[in-house]
Amino acid sequence: MTDSKDHTKLDHIEMTVRELLTEMKDTSEIIVDLAYAALLYNSEEMAEKVDELEEEMNDLKYAIRFKVLMSSRTKRDAQQLSGLLQVASAADRISDAAAKIVDLLELPLERRPFVSAMLYESDEKIRATRLRPESSMVGYTIGKLGVEACTGCRIIALKNRHGWIYDPDDNVKIRAGDDIIVRGTQDGFKLLEEYAAGSRPWEFPEISEDEEDTTPQEEAASINEDEEEGDT
Amino acid sequence: MNRLEEMLLELKDTSEFMVDLAYSSLIYDNEEIAEEVIFLGDKMEELSLKIQEHVIEIGMSKPEEIARIVVMIRLQASIMSIADAAKSIADIVMRGLGKHPVIAMSIKESETTITVAKVAKDSVLNGRTFADVRLRTQCGMFVIAIKRDREYIFGPHKETKMEEGDILIAKGPEEGVQVFKALVDGTDKELLS
Repeated sequence: MTDSKDHTKLDHIEMTVRELLTEMKDTSEIIVDLAYAALLYNSEEMAEKVDELEEEMNDLKYAIRFKVLMSSRTKRDAQQLSGLLQVASAADRISDAAAKIVDLLELPLERRPFVSAMLYESDEKIRATRLRPESSMVGYTIGKLGVEACTGCRIIALKNRHGWIYDPDDNVKIRAGDDIIVRGTQDGFKLLEEYAAGSRPWEFPEISEDEEDTTPQEEAASINEDEEEGDT
Repeated sequence: MNRLEEMLLELKDTSEFMVDLAYSSLIYDNEEIAEEVIFLGDKMEELSLKIQEHVIEIGMSKPEEIARIVVMIRLQASIMSIADAAKSIADIVMRGLGKHPVIAMSIKESETTITVAKVAKDSVLNGRTFADVRLRTQCGMFVIAIKRDREYIFGPHKETKMEEGDILIAKGPEEGVQVFKALVDGTDKELLS
C-alpha cells in the first residue's frame, strides 16, 4: 500500500461488500441474457455493452476482494468470507463466459447462420416487442408496474427516443413507441405482448396481506398507486 | 432444428436454470437445492460428451460443416463455464460456507425469488393443468420447471398437468411464496376464481 500509482487504484471502493455483491450477482444474470440477445439480434451494440459490463465486473471483483480481506479478523471471519468471495468469483466467471459468447459476433454472419434461429427456439425466450400508445403500461415506471413479478419477463433492454438503455432500472418510465427486449417464458411473453399492445389492461401486483412482509414504503406506494402517476 | 442444435439448446437452458437455482440455494442456505445444481451439472457433462461425439461424426462425414461446428463448440464451451460457475456456487452451500449473512442479503435484493415445493396428494393442484389453476393469478408465481422422478420439464405449458410428487420450481415476488407453498402442499385448498 506504499505505492499509490495507477495500477493500485481501485474503483468502487466506496461501495459496501453487500452493495458490491448485489451488483455482481445482478450483472452476472443480465450479462448472459444480453449476450444471447446480441447473438439473436446480431447486435454489435449489445455486444459492446456486454464487454463493458464484463470490464466493470473485473473492477468489482478486485474491490470486493480488497474489502473482504481488510475486514477479516478471525478464523471464523475468514471461513465465512471465503464463501462470499467464491460467489463473487462465480459471478465473474459467468460474465467472462458471456463475453466469450458475444465474441462469436466477430465471425462473419454467413459462418453462423443457425445461431440466431436456434436461440429463437430456446425455452427461455428472448423476445422484442413495442409499446403501443393504447397500452396501459405507458406512463408507468418498470418498478411500479412490477413487470418481472407480473409477467415473469425481465426487461433486459429498452429503446426509447434517447436510445438504448441496457438493464433498465426500476425508475425507468415506459413510453408509447418504446421497444423492449425481454427474457422469460413463452407464456409470460405472450401475456406481456398483450399488455404492450394494449389488448389487455395491466394488472398491478397485489400487495401481500402480511403486514410483516410489507415495508412502509411499499405500503405507501400501494395506497398511492392509482392517483400518483395517472395519465402522464 | 437438428438433433445437435436441440442438444445445444438443452445445454444452454439447463445452464441458465442452474444459475437461478444456485443463487436460490444461497438465499435459503439450502443443501437440497444445491444438490440439484450438482445433479444438473452431471447431466450437463453427459450431454456435453454426447454433443462432442455427434460433432466428431459430422466433422468426419461432412467436412463442409466444420465452420458451423466450430461455432457450436465455442458456444458449448461458454455454456459449460456458466454451468461450472453455478456448480461452484452450489459447492459453497454444500461446504457450509454460504452462511455469511451478507451473502443472503445481497442475493435477496433482487425483485424476484425462486422457491421449490412438492405437490401433495391432497393439493388443489394435483391432477390439474396450469390453465385450470392459473397459478400466476393466485400468487404471482411462475413455474419455470417441474421435476418429475429424475427428469426435468423446463418451461411447462398451459396444458401441462401437475401430479402428486412433482417438485415445482417457481419464480416470482417474495410475497407470493407463502401462498404458493400453501397451495402446493395442500394447506390452502381455496383457489381464487
